[in-house]
Amino acid sequence: MANVMEIYQLLPKTNCKECGKSTCMAFAVDLLARKVSVNDCPPLVNDAKYKAGYEKLSEMIAPVGEVTETGLIVHEDKCIGCGNCVVACPVDVANDPLGAGSGKAPTSDKVIFKVEDGVVKARNVQECRRFGENKILCVACIDTCPTKAIEFV
Amino acid sequence: MSEYYVCTGCALLCDDIEVETENGKVKTVHAACRKGVARMKGCIDSLECTVDGEKTDVESAIAKAAEILGEAANPLIFGHGNSSSEAQKLSIALAKKVGAYLDDTSSFCQGPIIEAILQEKLKTCTLDDIRHKADVIIFWGADPSNSHPRHLSRYSYFPRGKERQRGWEEDRTAICVDVRKSETAIICGDNRFYKIPMGEDAEFMDALVSALSSKVPKTSFGFDAKKILELANVLKKAKFGVICVGLGLIYSLKDLEPLFRLMDKLNEVSDFNIMPMVGQYNMRGFNQNLYEETGCINRVKYSPESGEAEHGPEFSVVEALRNKTVDAALIIGSDPLSSLPLSVSRYLAEIPLISIDPCRNLTSSRSNVTIPCALGGVEYGGTAVRMDGVDVELKKIIDTDNLPDVEILKKITEAI
Amino acid sequence: MGFGQFLASPEIKLKVVTYRDVFQNTAQETSRFGEEYERSSAVIKLDLKDIAKLTIKDGETVIVKNSSGKVVVTAMKSDYEESHAGIAYMVNSPWSNSLVPDETGGTGVPKFKDFEVTVQGAKGEKVTGISEIF
Repeated sequence: MANVMEIYQLLPKTNCKECGKSTCMAFAVDLLARKVSVNDCPPLVNDAKYKAGYEKLSEMIAPVGEVTETGLIVHEDKCIGCGNCVVACPVDVANDPLGAGSGKAPTSDKVIFKVEDGVVKARNVQECRRFGENKILCVACIDTCPTKAIEFV
Repeated sequence: MSEYYVCTGCALLCDDIEVETENGKVKTVHAACRKGVARMKGCIDSLECTVDGEKTDVESAIAKAAEILGEAANPLIFGHGNSSSEAQKLSIALAKKVGAYLDDTSSFCQGPIIEAILQEKLKTCTLDDIRHKADVIIFWGADPSNSHPRHLSRYSYFPRGKERQRGWEEDRTAICVDVRKSETAIICGDNRFYKIPMGEDAEFMDALVSALSSKVPKTSFGFDAKKILELANVLKKAKFGVICVGLGLIYSLKDLEPLFRLMDKLNEVSDFNIMPMVGQYNMRGFNQNLYEETGCINRVKYSPESGEAEHGPEFSVVEALRNKTVDAALIIGSDPLSSLPLSVSRYLAEIPLISIDPCRNLTSSRSNVTIPCALGGVEYGGTAVRMDGVDVELKKIIDTDNLPDVEILKKITEAI
Repeated sequence: MGFGQFLASPEIKLKVVTYRDVFQNTAQETSRFGEEYERSSAVIKLDLKDIAKLTIKDGETVIVKNSSGKVVVTAMKSDYEESHAGIAYMVNSPWSNSLVPDETGGTGVPKFKDFEVTVQGAKGEKVTGISEIF
């Protein structure tokens, strides 16, 4: 996964502020967190001399539909809908022990993961153990994914 | 949304699927895996009803199919893995009536394992037993993450069960033996992945038997003996173990003797079961239905005079086509021109060929008669047998103009 | 016309292991005649060393053949960390099946997961289409 310095190195590094951020570094941080997209940097898009950087960044920062508040991203193109994360997530087990926790389709609205049309969707992310005051570095959904379709940014 | 349907994408037959429909089509599928969803939403190349390439009505196509089968001296009836048990039984009766070769996909995949299970030569259990009890799970030459995507989450590794309440990290050990680091091997982890050379499964099994007998395990390919002994220790301590047998293992073994030896030893020191990783949703159903009728699970040839069934490798779909001993073929819910070696299946295009399938495929495009049928588990119901032998009732979700294969087979049989 | 075209591309012998892939299987459920099915099926996965021997680049087409058949498929470098030079991987498909020999020793079971082929670069040649396989 990309880190902020790698991203920064590919930006124009002119601190032109056209994106609304005060520095390119600030933009890089937001880009890593998917709060902005590569296309939000006008010089990168429009200036031919940054073309290589633009292409590299576009590849690096895989376009994602939605980044959840905990920074959880599901790469839908990689997801096979196996439901390992649905069943392994400790929050899902606690909130739906007889459904998701027992391997079956979730029967509660309080689960974080549900598979829909063969791809997992994350919701209720405020319940994720990586979030909130007592957050811990839980990796249950990442470690159990056979195709590395889940990442946290 | 409260009614559950069954997914027919593979022989796991997941029965916790919710479906939303719109304008008579499946719009959204809940809980099924990627490939299951594709199955339930159906293909885009629907099969048309044709005779000799010309569109026709289903009655004419059925009449032509009956004529072909009636005139053939040695017809072949093949497929069945994607048909309900009701249709399979009619297919068996039809084969008996016309003196046909009768076979299914198990003939060149899971057949030997299913046969040994039905003959009680291998101890087995249900998928629910695995969920509730299994603490050591071996995927041998199997990669369910690709072939049966929900196997690990529904049954074998991640779910909580009656005797497995604490989650996979504490309660279960998943082990992978394979020639390549598959996606399932990645989930099992480097410590629990045993990479062996191609074709050496039998030797690895015997080495494991030695280790289980507290002898030093030796392999000609120099596998680390310590690692085998350590594996043997894990297996010995298992309370309820299971070996999920994939095609990688089956194709590597000349016969099942090494697996019998390993299972005998494992059940001496521990408690182990076999789970066949059946692909098509009702392949096991066909094997069981034919077994009840003839005592054989596949590879049968009915005598047109006596109606007696002969059994043997020479009656397998592969040998029948290789040796060109059949003179017409009816293919139901299968595409042998895709799934068999072309060097073997090419002969099908030389003989009168009938396809019954919801979708166009390579075989149907070479067929003299094509009859579209309803999609099992979506456009019609019926019974199917899960990979572990449990009967599952399929339910119809949407309507279709196509007849189910069970109706088509009935009409063909009546017309002969 | 350069001299280069008269130099045959190097040809190497490989063992093929076939496997299943859920994405290819999904494409098959949707359409056996679709682009996605061809894109995910007509592929051979090679070790980097074998790619170097063939003097091809990742993503170029190669001719894969033996006495049973011949297909043009896309060569891709495999994702396996461990070297597997001499062994290539193909997803189970009509493309791999056109190369599986018909020898069975009378057992009724062909060697789907273990057969030999020769591979040769086919720069610029198109992948064999599903309708051309037969």
